[in-house]
Amino acid sequence: MSWLHGARTRLRLLFGRRAAESRMEREFGFHIDMETERLIREAGLDPHEARRRALVAFGGREQHREELRAGRGLAWLGGLSLDFRLGFRMLVKYPGLTVIGGLAMAFGIWVGAVTFELATLVSHPRLRLPGGDRIVLLRNWDLAAGRAEPGALGDFLGWRDALTSVTDLGAYRDLTENLTSADGDVRPVAVAEITTSAFRIAPTPPLLGRALVPADMEPGAPPVVVLGYDIWRTRFGSDPHAVGKTARLGGTYPTVVGVMPKGFGFPVSHELWTPLHPERYDRAPGEGPAITIFGRLAPGVTLERARAELGILGQRAARDHPATHEHLQPQIGRYAYQFYEPTLAERAGMLAVHGFAILLIVLVCSNVALLLFARAATRESELAVRSALGASRGRIILQLFTEALVLGGVAAALGLAAAGFALERWGGEFLRVNTGRLPFWFNPSLSPETVLYAAGLAVLGAVISGVVPALKVTRGLGARLRQGTAGAGLRFGGVWTAVIVTQVAVTVAFPAIVFVEQRELVRIRSTDAGFPADEYVAAQLEADVPADSGAARVQATRFGGALEELRRRVAAEPGVAGVTFVDRLPRMGHPEPRIEIEGDSAVREAAVASIDPDYFDVLDAPILAGRAFSGGDLQRDARTVIVDQGFVDQVLAGRSAVGRRIRFAPEPSVDGGGAEAPRPWYEIVGVVKELGMRSATERGRAAGLYLPAAPGSADETWMIVHGRGDPMPLGPRVRALASAVDPMLRVADVARLDRVTDPILWAIGLWIRLTVMLTAIALLLSLAGIYAVLSFTVARRTREIGVRVALGASRRRVVTAIFRRPLIQVGLGVGAGTVLIAIGTIAASGWAPDRGIDLSKTGMSAGQAALLLAYALLMLGVCLLACIVPTRRALGVEPTEALRME
Amino acid sequence: MPARSPTDALRGSLDLLVLKTLSLEPMHGWGISQRVQQISGGVLEMNQGSLYPALQRLEKQGLITSAWGMTGNNREARYYRLTAAGRRGLAHEMESWRRFAAGLETVLRTT
Repeated sequence: MSWLHGARTRLRLLFGRRAAESRMEREFGFHIDMETERLIREAGLDPHEARRRALVAFGGREQHREELRAGRGLAWLGGLSLDFRLGFRMLVKYPGLTVIGGLAMAFGIWVGAVTFELATLVSHPRLRLPGGDRIVLLRNWDLAAGRAEPGALGDFLGWRDALTSVTDLGAYRDLTENLTSADGDVRPVAVAEITTSAFRIAPTPPLLGRALVPADMEPGAPPVVVLGYDIWRTRFGSDPHAVGKTARLGGTYPTVVGVMPKGFGFPVSHELWTPLHPERYDRAPGEGPAITIFGRLAPGVTLERARAELGILGQRAARDHPATHEHLQPQIGRYAYQFYEPTLAERAGMLAVHGFAILLIVLVCSNVALLLFARAATRESELAVRSALGASRGRIILQLFTEALVLGGVAAALGLAAAGFALERWGGEFLRVNTGRLPFWFNPSLSPETVLYAAGLAVLGAVISGVVPALKVTRGLGARLRQGTAGAGLRFGGVWTAVIVTQVAVTVAFPAIVFVEQRELVRIRSTDAGFPADEYVAAQLEADVPADSGAARVQATRFGGALEELRRRVAAEPGVAGVTFVDRLPRMGHPEPRIEIEGDSAVREAAVASIDPDYFDVLDAPILAGRAFSGGDLQRDARTVIVDQGFVDQVLAGRSAVGRRIRFAPEPSVDGGGAEAPRPWYEIVGVVKELGMRSATERGRAAGLYLPAAPGSADETWMIVHGRGDPMPLGPRVRALASAVDPMLRVADVARLDRVTDPILWAIGLWIRLTVMLTAIALLLSLAGIYAVLSFTVARRTREIGVRVALGASRRRVVTAIFRRPLIQVGLGVGAGTVLIAIGTIAASGWAPDRGIDLSKTGMSAGQAALLLAYALLMLGVCLLACIVPTRRALGVEPTEALRME
Repeated sequence: MPARSPTDALRGSLDLLVLKTLSLEPMHGWGISQRVQQISGGVLEMNQGSLYPALQRLEKQGLITSAWGMTGNNREARYYRLTAAGRRGLAHEMESWRRFAAGLETVLRTT
């Protein structure tokens, strides 16, 4: 069993390093003591001399120690902590490299961590609730209609009694209702009318009071409400005595029984919770309110078993009630995936994003590698000595890797801190702009997985920036040492040249992107809406639309009536100059259906808005020809439209518009079946100036077409109020008046008309900041890279320069000799960058062989193109700045000094 | 593989001496070094400290084992003892050493 014994010993040695060291010291000490005592005893020496001789007889203690450590096979481990210490010392000793390399790596890790976090949030959503992965969503899938059947109250009640594999089965109804504050402020809030089992599924203890309890769901129980944190803070002024007070919610007056803590938004992103009373609704299938059903898998039950059980219930229902259930198939799935299940293509897209982040790290780190290589080259003699003293090549590579790892570690810490900050600050906002309403579990902050991922990136970075230069610098180290030509054997090869050229190209090309983005920003900001937009405030008005068509008609009439009443009351307010309605605000995107013109076979597109007859009057937009709308145009058979000047110029090619007839073209049929019947003709009765009929991000003039519409009859309703002076104070008044007119009338959004484009401007601004940062990093890395390579070259060629100077070479020739290479690199980079800009410009200008380049489409004038060229030249100069210090050093070379170096 | 260098031969003989010493009784490092010097009559001059890497090597090979114990005058010391494998190894080493020495002897006699 000697192998077992040996293995045990080896294991003991491996894991008991510290203990082994102490045992070794004790053993050595014992030996020397014994020898000393022997010499005193046998040779009669005095203790001091005896100890000295004992030590001599023992031999070099350090050598024995090293030999024992090597014997343990752990010498590298012992040296590792030394390497780390050396790594930190290097950080301090070369602050320039630390700052530049560290910042660059930190930036790469920052980008990687942020994209990873956002992508995993979407691709692998996780409920931040206890046992969140066992929370499930249940629904009735309508096979005939290809959608979930929302009216599932009856099935929910049946499942609640019958299902054994899912516990705490609950349901909620998603509502938006007006909440009136004590100060009269009325705003719509997201309400979940929910079964109390929700608070068992999401057992977060309330901040104040209590959550909903089963007694609240009893028929005849007094109405109660639980407040979300933000509502409690903003609408109740963080009142510590809010519990027990009465809230005004739509037309009801529930008592506040509790306040939930910050971040609680179950089931999705709700702000208020009221108990669901199933007995108040129709339970017939397909009738009743739209509900969402959730539950928790019973302990030990798999999703498959629950699915099987639900399938049996579904078959039974289809057999017992074929009329209502034959086409319904109950489904169950993980709760967090209910909003977004990425398709295969989207998963591939996310992989591409990860790929981009990794590529960025590789690019950045190959730069850092360049810097570290230059440093390692200057330290070549140190490395050679280490090698001569017995350090293996692997040992030296490990040392350089550790140094890079220390740098990467510092960079990772920095990058992660920045990523955490960015996610907290902008992550949520970014997702909201892109996806709308955000579920509560979409909480972008650093997850442990992301930290791990960043650590992985740091190691990858250290491998690239540490190991690659180490391999290069240690190749043939011994041979160079023998020849005494340290440094001379090293060359910066084609890879480094490519890195520098790419970098300079990026530095040149990216500002062009910033430039274009900035111009877009200015263009959007300065686009004339056609009227003084800052004098107007707009409020988006909504009301619930019942599923039942009869009820919906009644509701629509009520909505229209409420809007007319609201218009009357708002117009009576002091400081109001006019009130009107429209379905899309100026400079928002408008639908652009295809139209036909009578007597003209061509089909064109026009941007359509449905407006109140007063619209142009309130916007102070003069009618250029014909007449404005009047109340008579609202009649069903009136069929009149007004077009804008853009329509006249582009669709009618300047011909007179009034009196012409247009109609909406039939939609091209998808299945190739019978063509739709022609739509009726509309008569153009007037022409108006252009009033922002196209989204701010789109270029060019729109062809605008206005249809008269009664308020509330279109799919969206915005009320525009013209104020005398600052219109913003009118916003809260509109809210208050709306709820006073009808509790079901909700003000979803209030915005000044010149602020409609703010979210777009915010997004563009974010991109600009990102691009500027990327450019700055690329510039910094280019400069550092050029500087490092040139310093290294000068150092290596000191002797050669000395000889040249000694032989009478002029300063100019020396400078030319040194400058040639960086000049070529920077020149290539600037050239490549310019080509990139040119390609981008040509692509953006919609170039075609027959049309040539139309600069106007890129929004770039010849002067601005020249400006970009000047910038490229400036970059050339800036890059050459990095050459100054090494060049001065080279020119300062004294021939005698240089020759003595040999 | 090149032939055994003198160091290897020396190292091999040191191993043999250590094993031989420990075959009599378990002993601590200093005791082994004293005994080796006694036996060899000072022929094997060496750093006393270089004994310890040899001991570690033998322990790793499973030929000896070690444990901490008390000396006669009540001091803590690490005692090494021969394992069964060590005993077999010693016999084997002695055999091959004898063959080596005999071979050498023959060569010296014939030339």
